[in-house]
Amino acid sequence: MSPNGTNGEASVGSDGPRLKGKATPETITVGCIAMVVKDGKPRRAEILSIRDTKSGKQFYCNFDNFNKRLDEWVPVARIDFESEVEWPNPDKDKQKDGKAKKTTTVSKKSQPSKKAQKKVAKREQSVASEGQTPHPWTEFVDSQNLKTAKTEDLDDKANASLEIGGTPGVGPDEMELDEDEIPANVAKKERAPSFSREEEIEKLRTSGSMTQNPAEISRIRNISKVEFGRYVLFPWYFSPYPEAFGQEDCIFICEFCLSYFGSLTSFKRHRQKCTLLHPPGNEIYRDEYVSFFEIDGRRQRTWCRNLCLLSKMFLDHKTLYYDVDPFLFYVMTSRDAHGYHLIGYFSKEKESTDGYNVACILTLPQYQRKGYGRLLIQFSYELSKIEGKLGSPEKPLSDLGLLSYRQYWSENIIDLLFGYSEREEKCTIEGIAQALAMTTQDVEHTLQAMKMQVYHKGEHKIVLPEKLIQQREKSRAKQKRLIDAHRIQWKPPVFTASNRTWGW
Amino acid sequence: MATRKVRYKKLGVKTPLPILREDQVDPTEYESLTTESQIATGVESVEEKEYHLQEVLQGAGVAVDKEIPVPPPEESTLNYDELYSQRPSEPRTYIRFSQTVEECIGCMYDMTEEDEVFLKAYNQKLAPPATLSEDDFEKIMEVFEDTAYIKTPFASVDQTIVPYDEMLQGLHQLDRSKVMPHAKDIYEHWKERRQAMGNMPLHPTLKFEMHQEKDDMDPYVCFRRREVRQTRKTRARDVQSADKLKRLRKELEEGRQIVLLAHGRELMKLEMLKADQAIFEQRAQLKEHKIRLGIKTDDEDLINVKQPQKRKVPDSSSVQRPPPPLAMRLPVRADGRPSDADLVRLEDRLAEKANELRADIEKKVQNHHEWNRNHVDLTQGPLPPVHGLHGPQPAPSFRPAKTQYLMTPPASASSASLEEPTPMDLDKPQNPRPVFKFRGVSPDEKAMDNPPAYRRRVGRLNRLWIDRRGLASPPREVSAEYSDRWKYDQSSDDEEDTPMYDVDPFDTLALKFRASVPLPPWMTRATGGRQPAQGVLPPNMARPQPALTRPVSQGQPVP
Repeated sequence: MSPNGTNGEASVGSDGPRLKGKATPETITVGCIAMVVKDGKPRRAEILSIRDTKSGKQFYCNFDNFNKRLDEWVPVARIDFESEVEWPNPDKDKQKDGKAKKTTTVSKKSQPSKKAQKKVAKREQSVASEGQTPHPWTEFVDSQNLKTAKTEDLDDKANASLEIGGTPGVGPDEMELDEDEIPANVAKKERAPSFSREEEIEKLRTSGSMTQNPAEISRIRNISKVEFGRYVLFPWYFSPYPEAFGQEDCIFICEFCLSYFGSLTSFKRHRQKCTLLHPPGNEIYRDEYVSFFEIDGRRQRTWCRNLCLLSKMFLDHKTLYYDVDPFLFYVMTSRDAHGYHLIGYFSKEKESTDGYNVACILTLPQYQRKGYGRLLIQFSYELSKIEGKLGSPEKPLSDLGLLSYRQYWSENIIDLLFGYSEREEKCTIEGIAQALAMTTQDVEHTLQAMKMQVYHKGEHKIVLPEKLIQQREKSRAKQKRLIDAHRIQWKPPVFTASNRTWGW
Repeated sequence: MATRKVRYKKLGVKTPLPILREDQVDPTEYESLTTESQIATGVESVEEKEYHLQEVLQGAGVAVDKEIPVPPPEESTLNYDELYSQRPSEPRTYIRFSQTVEECIGCMYDMTEEDEVFLKAYNQKLAPPATLSEDDFEKIMEVFEDTAYIKTPFASVDQTIVPYDEMLQGLHQLDRSKVMPHAKDIYEHWKERRQAMGNMPLHPTLKFEMHQEKDDMDPYVCFRRREVRQTRKTRARDVQSADKLKRLRKELEEGRQIVLLAHGRELMKLEMLKADQAIFEQRAQLKEHKIRLGIKTDDEDLINVKQPQKRKVPDSSSVQRPPPPLAMRLPVRADGRPSDADLVRLEDRLAEKANELRADIEKKVQNHHEWNRNHVDLTQGPLPPVHGLHGPQPAPSFRPAKTQYLMTPPASASSASLEEPTPMDLDKPQNPRPVFKFRGVSPDEKAMDNPPAYRRRVGRLNRLWIDRRGLASPPREVSAEYSDRWKYDQSSDDEEDTPMYDVDPFDTLALKFRASVPLPPWMTRATGGRQPAQGVLPPNMARPQPALTRPVSQGQPVP
């Protein structure tokens, strides 16, 4: 993909032609796409909200191909009214929705290949019919519950275009080729059908904590500033704190009990009364650097709800639709004279039907890029090792989540492979998976992503790329912190059926 | 580039993969090998295309300086040490903690700016000792809020405000002397603030579900309850639970009955005791009368022991015997020991008889043992009969060699016939089989009794031993010594055997017997094999045997 911001598969208003025309600060409306200055450069941005402040009108902009956490309120001055803006069509409102729906094509577990073949056939039809129905998604929105062939077509198209990764103008033929001839990709492209709302809620009811449905996600951030411990945090995403907090300039969150306050006086009063100095659970790990606490969502409902509200400000796909009861929270803290400070956590379903070992995982922004994420991830895998299971994080991953996991996976796999190569042994994907408590899919994906798995002279092989070797040397010199598995005092908690259903 | 991939072998998770370093592969080739890449990242597909993520991913895992930009956190300007003034004590062990947030916070109401202003103004009006502390203020406010939450859950909709009177109940739980003088004033303040907020709780709260249609799409509504999974109602389950209830009912009913009956029994016991007492008193009176009137009889009528008399009383008037069913049954039975006593006696008798029989048999067996204790049958090689007596069962570790004897009939046939302990057989006609292994007289069957067998043992140093049994060969090899060794062995062992040798060598019976004894195999072989004679011999043997054994068996018990 070219680094040119305006190029590539546009995420904002890319579907079909739009009416263009000049606008003024007065006439521009929600849904318009305009050129807005971001980091000194003009960038396409969709206007999601408009508000009046003392200093004049402000526009909430979502920038093309930028993560939502970079959305911001901009003053009139940053919008380029010289060039034309794209107006939302009456049906384009829906289209926006439709696009969101359409893209809920998470590449989840592979399904039987029979469906793949069927889909390929279907897709051929769709390519043929493309000319007649240039915008099938408008209908899709209306009939989202009936999963017609069209919706499938649509999904395929979305994926195909994704596949090409931002090379617009590729003809349908080439897409065809790509898909037909890369078996791995076909397999990968099988995905859960797009989620209807009912399915989504049912999924959330029974398991998981991530919404698969972007329409679920509130698009406009409601809290602008948070006082938390020694830091001021600037939330990235919407979080369902009390609605009244949206009017506050700043909210206050107690570092230990995570209670939230709209008023500083209340917060100060609270601090005089609050006696909590660490997460309200059992410590299951301690070293010189960090401690881990295990907290049951059912027993510590308030605290876990507070934690979820806090973390929702930094996790886009997390959903708080249902309560915290079916989750355990593993909270990483650092110790000092004041107490045990929350660094990050991961939640884990008490019983995951999909074999996930992590539901949500977050390092608070003030502790990011310090290697804590790796510790969290490692800890989650250490727990899986104790359970004797292979684990994987719940999907979808966020961009940062993907990077963290890839780094953890690749580092550990490479370490392991070095051992093998020094002993001049062959290795199997399963062997790697077992050694690291990772799922085999994750191992394969990592090997592919790191370009380590090649097909050479009729044989699958693993190549250790020079760059990664150097990087490994470098990181070994750095002496990263690691979790010492011997210090974990933990037994996998057991929950009976009545336990989960009734809370006994 | 795409076409090549079709030929890929599928990569299984168990396929062993060789590991190479990049320098072991041709660089240009490597480049081309790794160009294909569309890996499921697990990231939402829209976000997957995001500029910053792609920029990092382009590095393909190599540490790049590029990072995904995030809004940076800042240092707080609040005074941290003041806000977080508590210092924890560092425990040596891992912390175990189960208190909830609510338990750690104390009063749930926290003063806001408005409250602070109000309280300050309020306290200014009061003399210092009578002022209201912030803590107490919060406690009062907490009561108001809680009561309002409980009594008017839909306050924000219907705008009802809980009257002060209803607050009193909650207030009484606080420290009255401190609180009550202020409560009314605080209530007014609380009411004012509630109204200003549209009668919402003073602390902003999360939006929970209100079971309204619009909840579903409201992003602020969170932490919904998960519907409890209902157990499926089926007929089988209904029947099951009905059965359970029935059984429970029955058991409870039975328990109740038992209690009732026990109660009745105790009442009857009481009655009986009273009756006994009455009788005793009557008798005392009777005795007195007797003495007074000078009637002299034996005092038997005063004693309770008399059974028949006693019996008559319950029979005529069943009032005295407490449980009627028992009284009903009593006459049927003969003298305390009911009918089943007879049954027992019959069984006893049968058992006795059986025992007698058994004892008899055992005695006889014993006798037989006694007779035969030191008996050695001199008429044949001593070993086989002894063997048969003392080792009733062939050792299990020996396995019979099931050779087919068709090819070498003479030797085996003769040896088998020799082993027959036939003289003994007739001695014990009613012998139980388990004691002696002898069965019948049929020579064929006898032959099968002790077939040649082998045992394999592993000795020390892994030496392998093969034990043979039922073979005639060993005596053959040591024939010369063996032929008369038994004499010395036997004579030295037991003196009781000696009477046997007193038999007159010229007695016709003995002569006859000796004549019937077949020659030992080594002798037959030495003499050139008398096969025809052997074939004839067995039938002959049967006759002289009783002749010999009888004197022996009779003679033995005598000394």
